Amino acid sequence: MANIARKHAGQSQGATVREQLRAMDDSGVVTAFLGGEERAFSELVDRYQTRLLNFVYRTIGDREKAEDLVQEVFIRVYRHLHRFDRSKKFSTWAYTIASNLAKNELRNRSRNPLVLLQAVQKSWQEDDRPLQFEDPTSRPDDMYRKRHLREAVEASVAKLPEHHRNVFILRELEGKSYEEIAEITECNLGTVKSRLNRARNSFAEIVAPYLE
Amino acid sequence: MDCRDFRENHFAFVDDTLSGIELVPMARHIAECEQCAKHDAAVRRALLLFRNLPPIEPSPNFRARLEERLLEAKKMDSAPAHRSRQFAAGVAIASVVMLGYIGTSLRSVDTPRDIILPPVVATKPEAEVLPIATPSASLVASVPAGGSMWTAAMYAEDAPIHFASADLRLINTTR
Repeated sequence: MANIARKHAGQSQGATVREQLRAMDDSGVVTAFLGGEERAFSELVDRYQTRLLNFVYRTIGDREKAEDLVQEVFIRVYRHLHRFDRSKKFSTWAYTIASNLAKNELRNRSRNPLVLLQAVQKSWQEDDRPLQFEDPTSRPDDMYRKRHLREAVEASVAKLPEHHRNVFILRELEGKSYEEIAEITECNLGTVKSRLNRARNSFAEIVAPYLE
Repeated sequence: MDCRDFRENHFAFVDDTLSGIELVPMARHIAECEQCAKHDAAVRRALLLFRNLPPIEPSPNFRARLEERLLEAKKMDSAPAHRSRQFAAGVAIASVVMLGYIGTSLRSVDTPRDIILPPVVATKPEAEVLPIATPSASLVASVPAGGSMWTAAMYAEDAPIHFASADLRLINTTR
């Protein structure tokens, strides 16, 4: 009986800690982790896994690889969090790691055409799959149109030059400020603004035929 | 404001980050220039599409895989520390052995010892037979013994012909 009561007390205490962590901002969670609270790392993963996955996926266009890279981001965060400059934003640091990993991946692909071919083949195989991402309550022609448009948009993003795409995704998908993008991409503010402007114009041009 | 200025500042116009003073000429230009108005609409429409792309979610086993990789990373992080301790102990033992060896070597160098050389076999050369038959006593006394050369020159005429060469003859220049 006493054991059950102790276990229950432990569980409720764990739940309270998790709630407290959830209520904290990133800086507080990082401080808690560095203070020895292992559950704080899990909270950071909860907060960033989907955001980072979407960012990396839109940058490299390969879902499986994107998951691997996001895991690598978290491993690096875990290992080096004690060296993180806490006067800066945690999210900027995490996105910088993710951005560098995505950049390396694209560089490796351009050096190794076989990897690129495998990625392309994977996307062909995805085309053969049944329509699984659309709302099943929609009419078939609607579903087809939506899927076609989604693919066209994704293909249009992929056509942007790498350094334009990176800035474009950080701004449009992640809603980062120009200053944060400059920090993540290690560029000056003027370059970020110019790249963003060009990326938007190019993207609008590429996607325009699909919108008519 | 011309079209070029408008296009240059368009990103800030779309993001609504222009100040009131900058915003007025942009808005006025868009009302006047059909081309730029079209461009503005095309960009906004394209961005709307992109921003509404359905987000992807991590696969169900994402967390489990991450936990596994974190465990591996923790193991790897602790392994080098253990290895470095072993390495330090190895280095210390090697240093002690090396110091001992150097100590014993130096002690053996300090003690003087007789140098023992291997035996050498020497042979006595045979005496060379010279073609001189019977040199005069004065010539023998001056030349081979290392005496002054002028003594030998004085007695040169007395030397037998075959001393230098059989073909040579003394020439009398006074004749």
